[in-house]
This record gives sequence, C-alpha cells and structure tokens, in this order.
Amino acid sequence: MNSLRLLPRRILAFVARDFRLFVSYRMQFFLRIVSVLAVVTTLFFISKIFAGFTDPQFSQWRDPLATWLTGLAVLNYFMTGFSSLANSIRQEQMQGTLESVLLTPINLPTVIVASSAWDFLETTFFSFLYLFFGRVFFGVQYRGSFFLALMFLILTTVVLACLGILSASFAMVFKRGDPFGIFLGAGSALFSGVFFPTQLLKTYAGPKLGNISLLLPTTHGLDGIRQVLIEGHQFSQVTQPLFILLGFLIVLLPFSLWVFGRAVRRAKREGSLIQY
Amino acid sequence: MTDVAISIQNLSKTYPVPFKRLRTFFRRPAKEPVEALRNVSFEVQTGEIFGLIGRNGAGKTTLTKIVATLVQPTTGTVSVRGHDSVNQDEQVRRQIGLATAEERSFYWRLTAEQNLLFFARLHGIADRAAKQRIKNLFAKLELEELARRRFGELSTGNKQRLAVARAMLASPPVLLLDEPTRSLDPLAAERMRDMIRSLAQQDPPATILFTSHNLAEVETLCARVAIISRGEIRAIDTPKNLRDLTSGSETVHITVSSGEKISFTRERNDDRLDETIRQLQNKGDRIVDIETERPTLLDVLERYEAADSRG
Repeated sequence: MNSLRLLPRRILAFVARDFRLFVSYRMQFFLRIVSVLAVVTTLFFISKIFAGFTDPQFSQWRDPLATWLTGLAVLNYFMTGFSSLANSIRQEQMQGTLESVLLTPINLPTVIVASSAWDFLETTFFSFLYLFFGRVFFGVQYRGSFFLALMFLILTTVVLACLGILSASFAMVFKRGDPFGIFLGAGSALFSGVFFPTQLLKTYAGPKLGNISLLLPTTHGLDGIRQVLIEGHQFSQVTQPLFILLGFLIVLLPFSLWVFGRAVRRAKREGSLIQY
Repeated sequence: MTDVAISIQNLSKTYPVPFKRLRTFFRRPAKEPVEALRNVSFEVQTGEIFGLIGRNGAGKTTLTKIVATLVQPTTGTVSVRGHDSVNQDEQVRRQIGLATAEERSFYWRLTAEQNLLFFARLHGIADRAAKQRIKNLFAKLELEELARRRFGELSTGNKQRLAVARAMLASPPVLLLDEPTRSLDPLAAERMRDMIRSLAQQDPPATILFTSHNLAEVETLCARVAIISRGEIRAIDTPKNLRDLTSGSETVHITVSSGEKISFTRERNDDRLDETIRQLQNKGDRIVDIETERPTLLDVLERYEAADSRG
C-alpha cells in the first residue's frame, strides 16, 4: 500500500532524472526534431506520386500521407511500449546503476515501469510531431474521435508492454539476444501495415505469410486507430480489433508477469542481476 | 541491554552455473559451481562497528550483497532488525545503506546534488526534506563546494565520499561500508573514521558492518572483527583477543640514556619487563624510550591463510 502511494513520486523521480540526462545532450534533441520534419516532407513528396491512383478497396489509403504518418507515429509508440522496459534494465545494467537503484526500498517491477516513463513521454512528443507537422505544413486532415484513438493506442501499448516484460525477462537472464525484439522489431514494419495495406501481403506472398500480420497486436492496434482517425469510424464499428487486442491482453498479461517473476528469482540466485 | 541488528544464521551461497543442463545436453564443458560462502553464522549488535576482513575473493562482497538483498542465499537466513532478507527484502532495504567503492553506481552526467536528490526520492523522502538532508550531508562530508559539479568531474576520493553520503541519505539504522576510506587522503580518511565512530555513538546509534583491507583501520574502529577465508568465518572476536590468539608474546625495545638499546621478547603475563627495568635502574641508567611490537591483525590473517593453504 505504501509502495503504491509512493509510486507517482518515484515515477516523477525517474522522469526528472531522465529529463536532466536528456537536456544534457541538447543537440540530439534538435536533430531529432529536424529528422522528423525531413521524414514527413519526404513522405509528402512520395505521396504525390500516388495521388489519384490509390486502389478504392483500400479505404484507409486514400490519402497515403495521412496513413503513413499515423502508421509511423503509432509504430514509434508501440515500439517504445515494447522495447523500453527491456532497454531500461539493460541501460541501468550497463551504466552500473541498477545495483544502487535496487538498494532503495523499491521493487524491480516499479524500477522497470518508472524508468521507462520518460521514454513514453519522449515518444509521445515525437509521435505527436509526425501528426503535427503533417497537419500544419502539409494540410493532412484527421477525423473521428481522438478519445477512441487514444484508447486503442493505450490498449495496444499495454499489450506490447506485456511482450516488453517478456523481453525484459530475457534481458535479465540471457543479457542479450532477445527473440521477441527481433520478431517484433523487424516484423512490425513489414507485417503490420505501416507502409502498405496488409491485404497486399496475402495477394503477393500467399495466405500463409499474409496471415502473420494477424498474429501481431500492432496490426490490430494500427487498424483500429486508422479506422477511427482516417475513416471516422465510431466505437460500434471498431469492436473487432478492440476485442482481439483484449484477447491478447488476457493471455499475455498473466503469462508475462509469471515469466518475469521467475527471471528475477533466477537472476538473484545466480547473482547476475547487475551483470550485462 | 543490546539487541541484535544483523543476524546471519548458517548462511551458504553457491553460485550456480547458468544453463548447466543445457550445456550438458549439448556436451559443452560446464564450469563447477562457485561456493562463495559456507555455513556462516554471526550476529552484529545495535550500535556496534563490526569489521569483516579477508583476502580478495574470500566472500566479503557476497556476504555484504546478501545482507543488502541483492543476492539470494542458497541456504540459511539473514535478518536485519528482525526482517528476513529474502521474504521481507523491501523492509530490509529501508533499514540499510550501502556504500561501495564502485564508481559506476552514479549517473555521471548529473551533478552530485541531482544524483542524491534522485536516490532520496526513491527512498520516498519529500523534496524539501531531501534537499535539507543533502545539504547537511554535504556539510558533514565536506562536499558543499562540489554539490553542483557533475559526478564525472569529481575526484575518486570525492566520488567515494558521495557514495557514503548516499548510504546515509535515509538515515538508515544499519550501514554497510565497503572500504569507505580506500581512495581518501590521510586527513580525509581520519575524518571519515571519526564520522563513522560518531555514527555508532549517536542516539539512536547506527550499526556498521565495515569491510576494509586497511587492517590498522579495522583495529582502531571495530569493536569486533570477523576473519573470513574461502567463504568460511575463521574467527570472530575483539581485535585484541584475535591478536592474542596468534601469539601472547611481544617484543620490547628499551633505549637508555647512555644510548644503549636492549630488545627482548616476553610473554604478556611474565615479569621480564619489570625485572629488566629494575636491573637498569639499579645500574643507574635512565630509561629514555620503551617501544613494544605486538602482533597485528595482519599476522592473524596470515596465520589463517597459511593454515588454509596447508589444507
């Protein structure tokens, strides 16, 4: 109960720490903003090639720029949800600070959640930039309920965070060589429909390879968000991706927490918690 | 009446070989498990400065880390002020502060003050109280002028003092100090020892588990000392009694006014010293200086190491 009461203060402590570390590298911050603008501008010009040529069966792709920008913004966020938990552990291990953090009366799950909080804030900012630059400089229009889109974003991020917990468990025991990272990192951009409709995979690569996209939570999260923001769908029209995501959550949450508990116990037994 | 601050009972730790079964399955050579601690038992009383000495790899760090809940024991129990280090690890961490000589345990791009503020927040200390506490600790450890310097810019000695300040942040009743004076200059080291003494004498007193390779320092600071060798506690007693275990004899050097120097070895309880002084006085010599050479903790440690080497 006491830990729960102190959780916001601890999260704030990690956010303040990471903010200070972040601003100690100011140049990097400005260069990232410039690179987002460069990507959005490049996509704008590529989208002009497809103007008027989009296949009508791909309703989300009538304005490819809007679709790519939502894809990139959301993928950015999903990847953070997935990778930041393991990264936070690895970074503390490599810096050598994990031991001193774990010496405070704070448990490991809190350390992981709190130390990835800044990543989410940072990603929120840069994901927003994709949409903001698209809207302000290139006239991209978004419609539908932002609240509903946010709900999809949060739900998918939580599902990916479960995979992130599995990834953090791997980082704790094996230190490197996390299979979830390889599968989701490489797979999401290719199979989730970030840059092209997933239906094309089935058409050109056959149903077996095409169905891989259905196994990824990112596909359903992205589909739901685009249905809301680009097609303007209401809650009743997006129940299918919503229930699929809930299904992922029901299976992955208890499983990932169980695996994580075992990984922590193993690392403490081996005395390898701070090794990398 | 004193009460027990740290209780260690039948503690053993064997570091398992990671993925041993997998290695065996693939017929890869597997290393033997490392037995770091063997059946260690002792208690540290509240307000006691307890020394732990031994060679590198003797098991001091493993023992300290188990007390600090960072490593789980294989068998046996450790309790800190009544809290079990495995089942009540969070409560144990509320009771302890650990200072190691490890420089990488801080954020190098943050200032000394920002580092401590971060750790204070993790301890749940409110910002205003944390800032005041940090200010007091900086004054106590003579770090005031370095508060706004980045950690990476501090000297090794100052980094070490900051590690001690961090251990004391939440005013824990138990301090685990791993070579706290290793990189300090002689004056700073003496001031650190004074501060450690005062912590054990304050009200309520702090309990200190102290490891060091500076045996003279251990002798002057610690009420009791444990000698650890190859994962086993070989002896626990006061520094004086440990020295006496090695040898009850001492060498006496007497200088008289004529410039003559007399040296002899005597047993602590015999009357040879009285007799020699009487003889010199009868001869009309004036005694200018008397020096005695007694066994040190180094002699004790060497004795146990030699015994272990013989098997």
